[in-house]
Amino acid sequence: MATVLQPRATRPAAPASLSRTPVKERFPGMALPGLVWYALFTIGPVIAMFVVALLRWPGMLITPTFAGAGNFSTVFNDPVFWDAVRNSAVQLGVGLPVMIVLAFLLAYYVVQRPRGHRTLRYLLFIPALISAPAAALVFYSLLNPDGLLNGVLGMVGLPDERAWLADPATALPSLIALDLWAGIGYSAVLLAARLDSVDEAVVQAAHLDGAGSLRVAWGIYWPIARDFVGVVAMLQFLSILFNSAQNVLLLTRGGPGTETTTLSYLIYQKAFLEADLGYSQAVGVVLFVLGLLGMLTIRRSLRATH
Amino acid sequence: MTTTTAAPRRRRVPRTGRTGTYASGVLAWGYAALLLIPFYYFIISSFKDNEQIFTDPLGLPTSLSLDNFAEAISSADLDRAVINSILVTGCALVLTLLLAVPASFALARATGRAGRVIERVFALGFLIPTFAALFPTFLLAAATGLFHTRTFIIFLLPATAMPLAVVILTQFMRAVPRELEEAASMDGASPSMVLRHVYLPICIPGVATVVLLNFLSFWNEYLYSLIIIGPDPAQRTIQVALPTLKLTTGTDYGVLMAGTLFTLLPVYLVYTLLQRQMQRALLAGAVKG
Repeated sequence: MATVLQPRATRPAAPASLSRTPVKERFPGMALPGLVWYALFTIGPVIAMFVVALLRWPGMLITPTFAGAGNFSTVFNDPVFWDAVRNSAVQLGVGLPVMIVLAFLLAYYVVQRPRGHRTLRYLLFIPALISAPAAALVFYSLLNPDGLLNGVLGMVGLPDERAWLADPATALPSLIALDLWAGIGYSAVLLAARLDSVDEAVVQAAHLDGAGSLRVAWGIYWPIARDFVGVVAMLQFLSILFNSAQNVLLLTRGGPGTETTTLSYLIYQKAFLEADLGYSQAVGVVLFVLGLLGMLTIRRSLRATH
Repeated sequence: MTTTTAAPRRRRVPRTGRTGTYASGVLAWGYAALLLIPFYYFIISSFKDNEQIFTDPLGLPTSLSLDNFAEAISSADLDRAVINSILVTGCALVLTLLLAVPASFALARATGRAGRVIERVFALGFLIPTFAALFPTFLLAAATGLFHTRTFIIFLLPATAMPLAVVILTQFMRAVPRELEEAASMDGASPSMVLRHVYLPICIPGVATVVLLNFLSFWNEYLYSLIIIGPDPAQRTIQVALPTLKLTTGTDYGVLMAGTLFTLLPVYLVYTLLQRQMQRALLAGAVKG
C-alpha cells in the first residue's frame, strides 16, 4: 500500500527533457497496470469471498442480509460438511504421501540414466499436458461398467460387473487413483530435474565405498532433494485440495451419497447447484485457511536446514 | 539384498544396489505402461463401435473409418470450440505479456521501496489459493456484463498468470547488463525504447518460458470457463465442450474417445515440436512457485 504514497516524490522528474532519463527509476510506474489487473481479478474476489461468507444469501435473485457467523455455525453443524472434510482428508492423507514417495523413487531411477531414460522422461510428462476433462474421460472409459478395467478382468476370469465410480467402496479410491495417475509423472520430472544436480563423482565414490543404492538414495540424493520435495509436495497438496472439484464434477458429482463430496466440490455444489451462497463461501473461507495452514506446515517440515 | 546371482559385469553398480535398481525399474516402466495403455485403448477404440469395444477391448480395429471423429466433432461442435480455445488462449497470452513485460521491466530497474513492495505482492501471489473464490469471480463477471462470454475469461486468465510471469521475467530482466542500457539512454532512448530495443531481445528466452507455461494452463483451463462462459456453443472452449460428449452421445464410447483424442492433438503437437523448451518452462514455473 506504500505504492500510493510514492508517486508524488517522483512526479517532478517525469518530463524527459529536464535531464537524461535516469538509468534506474525510483518508482516502477510500468508495474501498475499489471498490479491493478492482478488485484482486480484475483485479490478482489478473495476479499469478496470473506464478505459473502458473512451474508445470508439463499439464491442469486434474493437480496442478501447480514448473517454474521451464522453461516459458519450452519456449516459446522452440517454432517455433509464433515463428510467432505473426511473425504478431503482421506484424499490428501493417502494420495499425497504415496505420490511423493513413488515420484521420488521414479526420479531417482531416471537420473541414474538407465537404458530408455529419455523415453521415460518423455512419457512421464504426458500427464502434465492433459486437461482435467480429458483425464477424467480417460478414467471414465477405464472405470465405467463397460470399460477397459472390467473388460480386462473379464478376460482373465475375474468378476467384471463392478461400477467402480458408483460403488461406495471404490468411488473415492478411484478419484485418488486419478490424482496419482496424473500427479506422479509430473512430480517425478520436477524431482528428477533437481536430482540431476547431484555430483556424480560423489555418488561413484559412495558406491566404491560399498554403499548400496538405497544408502545412496537416502544419504546423498534425499538431502539435496529435501527442500524441493517440499515445493513439489506443496504444489500437489494445493492441486489436490483445490482442484478435486473438477474431477468430482466430471466423474461422480459427489456421489454415491456423499462418498466423494470433497471440500472444493462442496463449494461448487452449494454455490452453483443449490444456490446457498453464504454457506458455499463459508466453506470457501475454511478451504482457504486449510490451504494456507497446509502450505505452511509442509514448508516448515521439509525446509532444508541452511 | 545380496542374493542377486548375476555376475556384476558393470563395476559401477555394486551387487548390493542391484535389487533396488531392478525394483525401481519395474516401478518406472509399470507406471509408463499405465500412461500408455489408456492411449493405446483410446486410439484403437476411436475406430470401433460399441460392440467391438466391449467384446475385444484391446484388439486392433478392423477399419480405419473416421466416422467417430466426424460424429464427435459435429455433435459437440468441437471445431467451433477449438477456434474459441485458440482465440481465448492467444488473446490471453498477448494480454499477459502486455501486462507482465513492462511490469517486470519496471521492477527490475526500480530502486525504491515501492518496487520491493510490489515485487513482494506478486511473489506472495503464489500463496493465495484463489480457487476458493470461484463464486465471487462469477459475480464479477455478472457485474461487468461479460457473463457468458469468452471476453471475461480472456481478462481473467492473465490475472491468474501474473505472479509467476512477473517473477520469471523480472529475473531475466535483472540479468541484462546495465552498460547496454546506459549506452542507449546516452543516445536519448526513452524507457519504452530501452525496453523494446535493449531488454526484450535479450529476454526472449524468458518470454518464451512464460508463453509456453501459460499456453498449457490457459488451453487446459476448465472450471472457470465452465462457469463463466457457460454452455453456448458459439462461446465455449474445447475443455467445456469435451465433457458434453458424455451427454450428447449417450454411451457411444468410440465417439467419446475420438473426441478426447481430437482435443489432445494441439497440445501434443506443441509438446512434440518444443519438447525441451516446454519441459524447461514447466520446471521454471514449478521452481518459482
